[in-house]
Amino acid sequence: MKSFLADLHIHSALSPCAGDEMTPPAIVQTAIDNGLAMIAICDHNAAGNTAVTQKAAAHAAGGHLASGGCARNARSLTVLAGIEITTSEEVHLLGLFASAADALATADAVRATLPDATDASRRRFGDQRLLDADGRVVGMEPKLLATASTLALSGAVQLVRQNHGLAVAAHVNRPSFSVLSQLGIFPQDAGFDAIEIFKPCGPHPGMVASIPHGQPAADSAAAQFASFGLPVISSSDAHFLADIGRARTAFTMKSPTFEELALALQGIGGRTVACA
Amino acid sequence: MKLSTVVEKLGLECMTPELKGAADDVTGGYVSDLLSDVLANGPKGGVLITVQVHLNVVAVAVHAEMAAVIFAMDRRPEEPVRKKAVDEGIALYVSSLTAFEIVGRLYEMGLRGLHA
Repeated sequence: MKSFLADLHIHSALSPCAGDEMTPPAIVQTAIDNGLAMIAICDHNAAGNTAVTQKAAAHAAGGHLASGGCARNARSLTVLAGIEITTSEEVHLLGLFASAADALATADAVRATLPDATDASRRRFGDQRLLDADGRVVGMEPKLLATASTLALSGAVQLVRQNHGLAVAAHVNRPSFSVLSQLGIFPQDAGFDAIEIFKPCGPHPGMVASIPHGQPAADSAAAQFASFGLPVISSSDAHFLADIGRARTAFTMKSPTFEELALALQGIGGRTVACA
Repeated sequence: MKLSTVVEKLGLECMTPELKGAADDVTGGYVSDLLSDVLANGPKGGVLITVQVHLNVVAVAVHAEMAAVIFAMDRRPEEPVRKKAVDEGIALYVSSLTAFEIVGRLYEMGLRGLHA
């Protein structure tokens, strides 16, 4: 087994609030440059750029899909298809999937509950760019992604499960859109596979998790949230290239694949998870 | 102020008839949909006005020792939430009015928030 660095919460330019620079090739290149072995594309309420980012990673690796069976080289990167669902409680829930098809099936159920995007909403919230593997704009997402779906948290977790995904409570230490900010008390029976903590850059007094002075923020938050009895991961929630890999999780497992990730989150066979 | 007076004046629908005859006093109010905020600031003996219908509404209101919850805009929690509220002795009401309208009417009736 080996340690693999992962950043499992990255937005592409499909998310209205993400930079236009967040194209599949740019994300892949930046992730590789930062020494990451695995990333996940988690756009708000959509998954339209997941397959193309997987394709961009395959291009970067020299035409071969980076997967468990293949020989890995320095340029191979596993890209998981994911989604960041906004529930009706305005809780952000990450879904991580074995395939882009599973992510898209999940996204379709979420998108069906969203209002249509308008020219005014695009101006106000930003473009929702559907891209190809080379980063060219091929379309615009027609649904307004910057709002809450009508799925309750329990229904959203169930939806992720139905599509064989892993459900992660997103950035639980953030003062907005987190399980704790929206629901006050951590729901023990929500069915999460993991808790994600967000690593603040610089002082951030609004954080739910108090960060003792002089202590690494992620370590402190990880310790606090470990009490919920779920594995704690740390991700960047990158909306811009410079954020990619700013927070990472080290997974000790056999290979950087979805199946190994699922086993690592359960701590099976000596696999481990640690915020890095 | 009597909760029963509020219910009558605002035409609230009671979701927890099992609790009829329980304590009827309400001493203040708070409006928020962020339960972390309610947990920190909900006044003891007060009424919570919210559109949040997650099960934790009950847990948070009980923890803050609030008297009742009014769901605005016809938002209705599911049955497990209602059952939990009955178990915990916290009355739930539904109104078709907006939170703004409910709070305005309660204020007019003399109910006040934290710092009034």
